[in-house]
Amino acid sequence: MTARIAFRNVFRNRRRSAITLLVIVFGAVGLILFGGYKQQTFRGLRESTIRSRVGHLQVYKRGFATNEAKKPLDYGLDNVAALRRAIESDKRVKMTAAQVTLMGLVSNGEKSETFLATAVEPAKEKQMNGYRLTGGSDLPDNEPDAVILGRGLAASMHAKPGDYLTLMTTTSTGSLNATDVRVAGIFMSGVKEFDDRSVKMSLSGAQQLLQTKKVERLIVMLNETDDTAAVRADLARRIPGIEMKDWSELATFYHQVVLLYNGIFGFLGLIVSAIVVFSVANTILMSIFERTREIGTLMAMGTTRARVARMFLAEGLVIGVLGAIAGVVGGALLANAINHGHIMLPPPPGYTVGYPLRMLLSPSILITAAFISIVTATVSSIVPALKASRMKIVDALGHI
Amino acid sequence: MLIRLTDIAKSYRLGRVDVRALDGVDLDVARGDFLALAGPSGSGKTTLLNLIGCIDKPSGGRIVLDGVDVTAVPLHRLAATRRDALGYIFQTFNLIPVLTAYENVEYPLLLANVPRRERDARVRRWLDQVGLSAQAKQRPDQLSGGQRQRVAIARAMVAEPKLVLADEPTANLDSDTAAHILDLLAKLNAETGTTFVFATHDPAVMARAHRLVRLHDGRVSHPAVAQVA
Repeated sequence: MTARIAFRNVFRNRRRSAITLLVIVFGAVGLILFGGYKQQTFRGLRESTIRSRVGHLQVYKRGFATNEAKKPLDYGLDNVAALRRAIESDKRVKMTAAQVTLMGLVSNGEKSETFLATAVEPAKEKQMNGYRLTGGSDLPDNEPDAVILGRGLAASMHAKPGDYLTLMTTTSTGSLNATDVRVAGIFMSGVKEFDDRSVKMSLSGAQQLLQTKKVERLIVMLNETDDTAAVRADLARRIPGIEMKDWSELATFYHQVVLLYNGIFGFLGLIVSAIVVFSVANTILMSIFERTREIGTLMAMGTTRARVARMFLAEGLVIGVLGAIAGVVGGALLANAINHGHIMLPPPPGYTVGYPLRMLLSPSILITAAFISIVTATVSSIVPALKASRMKIVDALGHI
Repeated sequence: MLIRLTDIAKSYRLGRVDVRALDGVDLDVARGDFLALAGPSGSGKTTLLNLIGCIDKPSGGRIVLDGVDVTAVPLHRLAATRRDALGYIFQTFNLIPVLTAYENVEYPLLLANVPRRERDARVRRWLDQVGLSAQAKQRPDQLSGGQRQRVAIARAMVAEPKLVLADEPTANLDSDTAAHILDLLAKLNAETGTTFVFATHDPAVMARAHRLVRLHDGRVSHPAVAQVA
């Protein structure tokens, strides 16, 4: 009966209930859109970070992270082929890619700049697809002295595809070495600071320049990101002499974005919740004011304080459930419409390209939005419900 | 004796003034009584009804209801007493607007956790008693004043209380309807032995009451009790 009375009372003053429901729907839709955008951004950023830069796991020679290398590749991996076979024997592993990083000076004969090079296996690097060519061609598979330059560095060096530059660095034995390289192409990663210093070259070219056969690390790409922890544990158990980092330890920018977005959206969520709380509380309080004599009657008939309180809590719950249902449906429809609207957002800070506005519509987001709507609406009715339950019966019956 | 009131006083504050609504009222109500508390507005009859009905506390004195000193118990602990021993009939009917006639009558039985089958039988019987079986599914706003008061009577009676309190039960009804309501209440009193106490200044109610207690300025007038019937 409590639920029946609560349900019917929600529809007693339809206009007021409609306005309250609209506020809850607005809140739920907001949570779904904010949450969907946030999750899409996190997932997109996570996957792009993994697939284009850091991989799911990076495998190093044991001691790499804790010991200070006196010379380049002191802690490099030497028996790479065997290590690769061992890692790739796991069916969850999609591929491995060997990399070396090196830094030094790049010169065009008139001007020198510092560079930060990533030496890669060109065929593997193409699969990672972490950059976009803006000129020339990609890194050739079998040309050790070919490089591609970040757009900013190319502009600074006045280099264009086909030009020759000189790279100078310290070898693995500590001496200086230099090599002439052909600029095959120019690329952009989207991060300006990176593009201003970045060079990509072939692993074999870098090994010649560094005078070594070692590689710094093996990037391990998995089929599914969710398998990262399990694969890491298996590899650690099976392969001695290595140490690993997973993508989460390497994706500093990703974590900064997560922290920032969680802060922003948490604050917005608080504002939305506060609006819902005040709106529902106001509706229930108005309802109590209008039904004071009715409350007195119920209590005169022997209804307990607790039951009166439950009745108004149930009204808050009913409003919350109705608002949550409408909000989830509305939010899902709107998010779907936005996803099909091909809306482009401007580049975020530090990036040079925009990205499409998309919302991830996962069940967890919809359930969370519904749960928050219901809980908020119910919690909002606690104070009014207690107020109703503590009325003096005589005063309530005499209320006009 | 169903009710014994001893030296009942009730005062409350109205702005800065202390109003003494009742002062030294003594009254006994026997089981099966059909008693009217009469008096002009402000005489204290509704206040006395509220005190007997355990919805207000006296400032002084003692009320013993069916052997229990209800003045010694906080009001919110008397919900079960109100539910099981008392029925209320209000001047403005006070039906729950969102419930049908059936559901309004059913409500006290739900409070008392009466099983569904028995509940249904009792609600139907009482709606039949008050002549509203056909209106069971109608909501209060679809009923006339007389019909609403009949629903209120069925609601007050359905839990089979020892005592029914009626505050000006005919005040909002035309004289024909009021007469029918009084016939019904007298019949229920006679058939079920339920005690009825009215607060009224309607001469028709006073005329039908078996006992009449006149109040004036919060005191029982002397002679205190008139044996009417």
